[in-house]
Amino acid sequence: MKALIIDDSRAMRSILRRIVTSLDFETDEAGHGQEALERMESGPVPDVCLVDWNMPVMDGYTFITKVRANPDWRNVTLMMVTTESEQQQIVRALAAGAHEYVIKPFTPDAIAEKLEMLGLVGGAA
Amino acid sequence: MTAPALTAPSYDDVRAVTDEVWTTLLGEAAPLIDRLVPVGTPFDSVGVWSAAVTVSGGWEGSVTVELTTYVAGALTTTMLDLPHDAEVSDADVADAVGELVNMLGGNVKSLMPGPSVLSLPSVAAGRAAFSSDAREVARVEATWDGEPVRVTVHNSTGETHR
Amino acid sequence: MTAQDGHPAPDRRGMTTATDTYESVSALVRRETSMIYDAGKEYLVEARLRPLAAAAGCTVDEYVKRLPIDPVERRKAMDALTINETSWFRDHAPYQVFSDVLLPRLLEARAATRHLRIWSAACSSGQEAYSLAMLLDQHLPAGWTHEIVATDVSTAMLERVRNARYSAVEVNRGLPATALVRYFARAGNEWEIVPRLREHVSTRHLNLAAPYDGLGSFDLIMLRNVLIYFDQETKHDILRRMRPMVAPHGYLMLGSSETTLDLPPDLAAQWRREQEGRVQVHRPATGALT
Repeated sequence: MKALIIDDSRAMRSILRRIVTSLDFETDEAGHGQEALERMESGPVPDVCLVDWNMPVMDGYTFITKVRANPDWRNVTLMMVTTESEQQQIVRALAAGAHEYVIKPFTPDAIAEKLEMLGLVGGAA
Repeated sequence: MTAPALTAPSYDDVRAVTDEVWTTLLGEAAPLIDRLVPVGTPFDSVGVWSAAVTVSGGWEGSVTVELTTYVAGALTTTMLDLPHDAEVSDADVADAVGELVNMLGGNVKSLMPGPSVLSLPSVAAGRAAFSSDAREVARVEATWDGEPVRVTVHNSTGETHR
Repeated sequence: MTAQDGHPAPDRRGMTTATDTYESVSALVRRETSMIYDAGKEYLVEARLRPLAAAAGCTVDEYVKRLPIDPVERRKAMDALTINETSWFRDHAPYQVFSDVLLPRLLEARAATRHLRIWSAACSSGQEAYSLAMLLDQHLPAGWTHEIVATDVSTAMLERVRNARYSAVEVNRGLPATALVRYFARAGNEWEIVPRLREHVSTRHLNLAAPYDGLGSFDLIMLRNVLIYFDQETKHDILRRMRPMVAPHGYLMLGSSETTLDLPPDLAAQWRREQEGRVQVHRPATGALT
């Protein structure tokens, strides 16, 4: 499994990388949505993107709408990981095509449990 | 919108948000402990990092965090999973402190009527300066591992009608 | 080992709860709640008592010495020490089995009364009770009613269940985002369960080691990840007394790693184990009551 971690903070990317690496994911990283789109166009398509909302150049919401607009990427699971926690924002992100949503701050277990719920971790028979 | 909207987050909510963000990033080994600081006292001045985000929309304001160099360094090494005495660059500290204020800001924003937009963080080595049209509405004063930590929430009092 | 600026590294400060302190805490917990704190859980005791000690302005060791003579702090300490790590839809599979397998059978068995009763035993902060409430909201046919009784030894936890408010950190744990927007409303810095779920959940103070008077019988009892805290004798006693609490067509669910295979023969004979996919459920064995 491959995870693309998209967050403008290196420290946050580092935290997320450690969590998903411990769950046996290979990881790649991008500092904003535009960079992430370029990664996905040029490199292997990830199984899951962990996406921050507020980032420079291209925010995570825009990134999600762009990924969902491309049928080649319909199998990519999108999980927002963001401090954006107004209820209507969560509704918007889900409507735009995010599969799951994790609010910062989170504990490592939260990421693991959500990835498991999405069938990306653990003994899904 | 004419509903009598909430104009400021409560101290208790800001304190709880701070505690939650703090504990998640730094663990529970050393808790944030409240301390009494007279209003208007500048943040203890030795080595200091400060960072702020602004919120605009349903609520207009800003959230600022001030930390000593030691606390900012500990935050950075913890987030990057480095030994506590590891050398970290200013860029790394700025990045970590920026993420801290981003989390605080996003959660404070959610306390207030929305929808609002959160700015990207601005981080500086040095004490925070506040514009004269900003009114302090909540301030969390604490110590962590014996060093001061401050989180301040300001309302923008200027004309903000869009 | 010191960190920069000559400060001790924060994760090392005072993290060595003295053995006698630890033993007195674990004896106290056992006396008050019958729960067992094994050796090796020192870090947990430390992590949970440290904020209370800090609030009381003393070290953890000093704090523990106060507990026998200070009932208020003792109550707080017991509450802090008996909370369970808990997430929504914990382990996922049991809830899947509930919706897909158990609930359809219970709907058949209860077709006459069209009422279901569920017991969340050792409910902690209520995630289990409300997870079930969410599933019943989605799957229970119109015209049916249900009641979820949540019990715990900690009054602070029961208060939390009644308040039904959860932090961002808590709502991240295993709760689908669709359920978050459907069943919660923002309340300050927390998230509050909507009234239409809350009205089905009632709370009651109960030590599982004490009698279960006046609870009635249940179609489903969730007794998950709590027996591990009791010694063997208490555990057996609980399972023996749980037997008549389960309605004849009803179910008992234990934690994923818990089993009734190691029970004494007379007690094992009171329960019938059934495997549903990866999940083991227990039913009262008919005619085996001793």
